[in-house]
Amino acid sequence: MPEVLKAPLVVEFPFTRSLGPVQSAFLTGLRERVVLGVKTADGRTLVPPVEYDPVTAEELRDLVEVANTGTVTTWAWNHEPRRGQPLHAPFAWVLVRLDGADTALLHALDAPGPDSVHTGMRVRIRWAGERTGAITDIACFEPYDAEPHRPGGHTGEFADPLTGIVAPARLDYTYSPGRAQSAYIDALSEQRTVGERCPSCRKVYVPPRGACPTCGVATAEQVEVGPRGTVTTFCIVNIKAKNLDIEVPYVYAHIALDGADLALHARIGGIPYDQVRMGLRVEPVWTEGTRYPDHYRPTGEPDADYDTYKELL
Amino acid sequence: MTREIAVVAFAQTDHRRSTEESSEVEMLMPVLHAVLEQTGLRTADIGFTCSGSSDYLAGRAFSFTLALDGVGAWPPISESHVEMDGAWALYEAWTKLLTGDADTALVYSYGKCSPGSVRDVLTRQLDPYYVAPLWPDSIALAALQAQALMDAGHTDEPALAAVGARSRTDAEANPHAQLKGQVPQGDYVVRPLRTGDCPPVGDGAAAVILAAGERARELCERPAWIRGIDHRIEAHGLGVRDLTDSPSTRLAAERAGAFERPVDTAELHAPFSSQEVILRRALRLGDDVRVNPSGGALAANPVMAAGLVRIGEAAARIHRGASDRALAHATSGPCLQQNLVAVLEGDPR
Repeated sequence: MPEVLKAPLVVEFPFTRSLGPVQSAFLTGLRERVVLGVKTADGRTLVPPVEYDPVTAEELRDLVEVANTGTVTTWAWNHEPRRGQPLHAPFAWVLVRLDGADTALLHALDAPGPDSVHTGMRVRIRWAGERTGAITDIACFEPYDAEPHRPGGHTGEFADPLTGIVAPARLDYTYSPGRAQSAYIDALSEQRTVGERCPSCRKVYVPPRGACPTCGVATAEQVEVGPRGTVTTFCIVNIKAKNLDIEVPYVYAHIALDGADLALHARIGGIPYDQVRMGLRVEPVWTEGTRYPDHYRPTGEPDADYDTYKELL
Repeated sequence: MTREIAVVAFAQTDHRRSTEESSEVEMLMPVLHAVLEQTGLRTADIGFTCSGSSDYLAGRAFSFTLALDGVGAWPPISESHVEMDGAWALYEAWTKLLTGDADTALVYSYGKCSPGSVRDVLTRQLDPYYVAPLWPDSIALAALQAQALMDAGHTDEPALAAVGARSRTDAEANPHAQLKGQVPQGDYVVRPLRTGDCPPVGDGAAAVILAAGERARELCERPAWIRGIDHRIEAHGLGVRDLTDSPSTRLAAERAGAFERPVDTAELHAPFSSQEVILRRALRLGDDVRVNPSGGALAANPVMAAGLVRIGEAAARIHRGASDRALAHATSGPCLQQNLVAVLEGDPR
């Protein structure tokens, strides 16, 4: 078996999320160092507050300020903080029922070690220096032995309430493409295009994915195809893509390489965009140091007969 | 008139720490072939196909459509997908068969945890406003639940260690399990949970075939009849729930008829040792019930497939006459947030 190909893959996205009125008040409150809960019909105060009662689904709007002191209801010692977590030094994850609340809030507790943490211990909020209206405006909790904080009776009305948050997310992967695609990529590095044949229907798939999508069986027999092929269909791209240094308009085409039963797609160059046509014969153009053809250009052969590629549109 | 529906075949991969040499479809396809072969069915004979997976695990967009290549979806098949454990795909297929629209269903699921960090990936399923920005990983949340359970006096560290040890000892008889035999309980990962209380991280796939009525009897000598199946979800706010209990499991079990007669076997989807303690109490399982003879999720936890594997393992025991009435459970979300319970029975012998 050839060496497994691997590459780092980062999936990163800043999710922009709109807020309901209760979420907006809560997060705006954190910015102003005010903690708000929401009252349910049966008199419970939910912190963090939600838009709808988790039991009855009733709409909740009755905001009430609670204390920034509270009691740990459960905890877990995290000796190896991970990326994105509230503290860089070891800390305790805690659920804290703030004074005046009936439910608990998840956050971090800054404590010297696991022996100094227990369920029932008293804590208070440590506010972040810079606050934007986010759960991270609470930097963490810290141990607190004095009198409970008395909330100020805030109504949840703010001059400039938040309407949305941006929540960045990032996940890191090590991508490996699997057996069939690894073989395809390996061959490309020698400027060869290698597909795989289905043992059942005999079709040659390029690029191969390891399975015949029609028959549901593994493909294994490797078949070199091309390098020449036929444009089966195409489109003219008129909008410049971000980070792509190609002058518009240009042609992007489906190309059936000779010997392949599936068209792949690539850019067509070396010919004015408005002269590209179905049936045009093309060949790959490789540039130094790349693992795939930069584009395809006309070979100068006569156009292919429609009947030779009509199944490959 | 309710149709009788049974699990008639089950197959799974060997679950491994990494399957980097295979794409998802390359990992899945042998299992699809194995489960079809058990029944003699071909793709074209299957009335409905349903799968469960999550693109976030391996970071591959639309991986479930690529996985369909392994089914052979031509001519076009009747197909669906859930971004959940395959146990929920099975629920959808069961519903489809109940309507009479199909007599057979192929259900499969797969999870490739190895390309990413599953602890971090699972944070993305949490409340995006109040919780996800703190990146609390799956082990941290389970540890909060375990501590609550200890504070309530329902368990302690030695009892949790015993759950892990029993699971991995049982897994020695399971050729597909990833972690088996004597495994050190290890250090704290997130206290109070130690390595031994946590599931192995691994890749794997599973598939089952469902069939209705007489069709089931034709395809399987002893079908595992689904006498009841139900799933329930709890509030997403962790601080709203009583983490020491699982009312959603209890209610699902009630609706599935689990309490009508005792079961002899239970396959519980408890990725953490502490969660088995909670599930045993919620399901009122006595010491006479064989719990997780396969080794359970503590021996192999291919995320998105581990729940379906529980149903498959329970059914397989009925198929081979090792059980007459078994309970299978699957979970989803943090701290047993959502739970599915199925009750399976074999025909009297």
